Amino acid sequence: MGRLVLRRLGATVPVLLLVTAGVFLLLHLTPGDPIDVMMAESVDATVKETLRRELGLDRPLHVQYAAWMGRLLRGDLGRSIRNGEPVIESVSRRLRPSLELALCAMAISLVIAFPLGIVSAIRRNTTIDRAGATFALFGICMPNFLLALLLIFLFGVTLRWLPISGYMDPLEEPWNGLRSLALPAVTLGLALAAVVTRTLRSSLLEALAEDYVRTARAKGLSEWRVIWTHVLKNALIPVVTVLGLQLGTLIGGAVITEYVFALPGVGRLVVDAVFARDYPLVQGVVLLIAIGFILSNLIVDVLYGWIDPRIRFR
Amino acid sequence: MATRRDFLLMCAAASGVPLVASDPRQAGGADVPKKGGTLRVGFYIEAATMDPHFSGSKIDRQVYHNIYEPLVTLDVKLGIKPGLAESWQQPDPKTLILRLRRGVKFHDGTDFNGEAARFNFNRMKTEPKSVRKGEVASIDSVDVVDAYTIKLNLKRPDAALLATLTDRAGMMVSPKVVQERGSELERNARGAGTGPFEFVEWVKDAHLLIKRNESYWNKQGGPYLDRVRYRPIPDDTVKLQSLQTGEIDVMDYVQPRDVAAVRADRNVVVVDVPSLADFAYQLNHTRPPFATKALRQAVAYALDLDQIVKGVWLNVGVPANGPIPPTSWAYDKTIPPIKRDLAKSKAKLAEGGQANGFTFTMTNNNIPINVQEAEVIQAQLREAGITMKIKLVDSATLISDGNNKNFEMISYQWSGRPDPDGNTYQFYKTTQGTSLNWSGISNPQIDALLDRTREVSSQSERRKLFSELTKILHEELPMVFIIHPIEPKAFSPKVQGYEPIPDGMMRFKDVWLQ
Amino acid sequence: MLLAVLAALAAPLLAPYDPLAQNLGNALARPGWAHLLGTDNVGRDVLSRVIWGARVSLVAGLVSVALAVVAGSLLGILAGYCGGRVDGLVMRLMDAVLSFPPLVLALALGAVLGAGLGGVLVALGVVYTPTFARLMRGQVLSVTARDYVDAARALGAPAWRVAWRHVVPNAMNPIIVQASLSVAFAILAEASLSFLGLGIQPPQASWGSMINAGRGYLQQAPWIVFGPGAALFVTVVGLNFVGDAVRDALDPRIRG
Repeated sequence: MGRLVLRRLGATVPVLLLVTAGVFLLLHLTPGDPIDVMMAESVDATVKETLRRELGLDRPLHVQYAAWMGRLLRGDLGRSIRNGEPVIESVSRRLRPSLELALCAMAISLVIAFPLGIVSAIRRNTTIDRAGATFALFGICMPNFLLALLLIFLFGVTLRWLPISGYMDPLEEPWNGLRSLALPAVTLGLALAAVVTRTLRSSLLEALAEDYVRTARAKGLSEWRVIWTHVLKNALIPVVTVLGLQLGTLIGGAVITEYVFALPGVGRLVVDAVFARDYPLVQGVVLLIAIGFILSNLIVDVLYGWIDPRIRFR
Repeated sequence: MATRRDFLLMCAAASGVPLVASDPRQAGGADVPKKGGTLRVGFYIEAATMDPHFSGSKIDRQVYHNIYEPLVTLDVKLGIKPGLAESWQQPDPKTLILRLRRGVKFHDGTDFNGEAARFNFNRMKTEPKSVRKGEVASIDSVDVVDAYTIKLNLKRPDAALLATLTDRAGMMVSPKVVQERGSELERNARGAGTGPFEFVEWVKDAHLLIKRNESYWNKQGGPYLDRVRYRPIPDDTVKLQSLQTGEIDVMDYVQPRDVAAVRADRNVVVVDVPSLADFAYQLNHTRPPFATKALRQAVAYALDLDQIVKGVWLNVGVPANGPIPPTSWAYDKTIPPIKRDLAKSKAKLAEGGQANGFTFTMTNNNIPINVQEAEVIQAQLREAGITMKIKLVDSATLISDGNNKNFEMISYQWSGRPDPDGNTYQFYKTTQGTSLNWSGISNPQIDALLDRTREVSSQSERRKLFSELTKILHEELPMVFIIHPIEPKAFSPKVQGYEPIPDGMMRFKDVWLQ
Repeated sequence: MLLAVLAALAAPLLAPYDPLAQNLGNALARPGWAHLLGTDNVGRDVLSRVIWGARVSLVAGLVSVALAVVAGSLLGILAGYCGGRVDGLVMRLMDAVLSFPPLVLALALGAVLGAGLGGVLVALGVVYTPTFARLMRGQVLSVTARDYVDAARALGAPAWRVAWRHVVPNAMNPIIVQASLSVAFAILAEASLSFLGLGIQPPQASWGSMINAGRGYLQQAPWIVFGPGAALFVTVVGLNFVGDAVRDALDPRIRG
């Protein structure tokens, strides 16, 4: 197992190299310049030139890339051009809200998906199944920002149950923190619930078709018992996969939700950085998101082995 | 209720007519300002830096005007009034003598005096990262005449200098703070200012907190508020809803589309703040089709500004007759905005050799109201036989396209400066390389006029020069001017005593909570 | 969903008004007999724009996924068939694309390619390519392990023919399932991109750009958002059902 993990980690090095080179090239091909954006209203050309020289932005691309790589190898992700803050600080500050949001969204999705998925699988192709599927699709088929605005309108403005913008850390102020995360987590959670429900339903159906299930049924166990004791554990593997894959996406990809609810997350950080052409910041965040994505894949694989020992030997 | 009515009166008065300041101390018997409370302010974005000499974005100034103070300040009619400088005099066009206020202390306890002022000017002029260099370029040197008098020796006459000193270029930072923690100042302005509020903390992405300066030099009026807490809320709709539900007390800007609805909401008070801005489109004089003057004019005559201001901006602004806003003393209301005249437009098309119309591309920012405006302009031009394509880009691309003159027609939304110089010189003066003169206009007559406006110091004479300039701009058309927008701000009804100054900055010195 | 396709094809016949005809005097009109879904912020008929928008939205979804299917399949076949270094290189490349935050990738690509439908298509195409490449590679590996492919190879059939004859048909089913789902996601993704200011150019409209333009009017004039929102929702739900149905039909174990 340990060796497998090590080998997998080794294989990520070229991937990360490609990611950094890709993002570097892509960013510099994009029209626009960080200094121009930062000083849109200032006209003193010499100030801009001095700054560019100081930041090394006037050097050829490959030199800039090499310099960035050199710093990276020494563990330095550089500093943001816009505000001079070390990239690692910006990211670590933003990571907590993102992680909390992702976990809350997952919790919500599981609460919705489990009953829905199981009922759909048992009563497949009935009205309940279809209704469940449609409901599950509701979250996934609605553009994120629309769902977010509707939730705000309903729970924030009309009912006034929940705050509609801003973030408080649930680890510091549990009640207010959870309240501040409630609407964004539901926004993301509904979409995720759809994915999880579908996965659960189809993997349950597959598992239900296995021989040992027939045996169990033959023993006269009720359908619910069959599912609960025999099927569910096996059907969990794809669910874990989906959630694992989504964790990466949720952390880096919740841009719109973070934007609408004014949450200071990683997704907004990177998109704002793209708009500001803050090269070091974008490069750093994308690299870290990529690492997170790869690690979560790895963890999923390890979890596989834990849930289903048979996989270890494959 | 009296103050609430005052607010509403202000709204009514604001459609282009100069505003009367509402003095909080005259607000009526029961409504005597009282101390206390935290004001929660929602802005669309958070500040970029706390160092006024390094700041390049508009939003920073909102915080600065509460913790720092400029040497001179603006009144509601854009007149210059004393700030940290009590008085000033100009013995000759190249000398400006400022007498500084005594007994002013920075928040770190050090004295503000002539040496401190000179330190600040030198820092702006020499610090490599200083963004203020261009604004103080006309200052050659600063002499400390006595402890509370400084003399600015100018390289050339600069009639706009005083107005420039009402903002970041005139803001005084504690020399001690700069010397001891200069690099930290960008993130932490503790002790650095002299203003009615002191910097407390800035938790990035979450909030910025300032508190009342208990030993503020000006004992008249406020500061009343205990604290002011700024929060970034990027989405306009959500920001407005946060105000309506009471999560914030003040928001910086109400979108035109929301103004009517907000006026009807009894939990919100809207104050229209006429701005210094001019929103326009630059036309590229260096390449076809707009190298041809007649084609520029054909476009100008095809536009219906009234329709744009009414239909797109919902009358939250007035049609623009040029770069100078109605709030300015230099605004000439006898010059009407260019009127739509399709026959004239057709004639100009023929004159430009394109009798059957032509096709060009407009580059615009991808912001909903800009897109809407572009679509309306597109439809108006189509009626004149001109085909306009729309290219939507993010602001970084817009700026780079503009600087590189890589456009035919491009949106330019200038936030404006208190002196008309800031709305004209850098846009129309012949320049090489990058500047805000994206159109590439180079006209000796305009150049001479612009130089003249800096040399004469009499306001009435400058006013005539700017009128003349505006008329030439109608002919030469480096830009087609669209609107001077109003920037409505919205408050919870319990917020009292806000004075709307057209630079849009929210100064909370005299603001209090009911 | 069929309705959406129909609307896209027959837009000129179905639309009651010119989708570009503005009438600022009649902006934000409530739905009524004259305008069944009301008018938008410059007085254009929402229904007509929804009908015409079907074209752009469906094209965005279909073409970008088609690009991804073609590029992904070719890369997948290349990787699976050649194996070794080529396999390693292609798959690492795909992993790299996959580990990019998709929205950032699309945003940057869109900015490089210039705004407009073309940029969106390519950007989304690139984002979805790795999925298909992985899928195809897996199929190639499992198919080439089978006896009849070995036999074909032994008989000296050229590699491309073996791939075309034996590998592709077998791999088609899962790809169709995946593609039908991806189209749904691509239509949604186009909406997200227009939220971030990257999308098709006006006056053309996609459902996504219409929702985005209307979201500021949610309180005053919800119908601007409702029309395209409903169209989007129904289409994406439809595509999902199609995907499920295809999957169920192709997997005999689940059928019944």
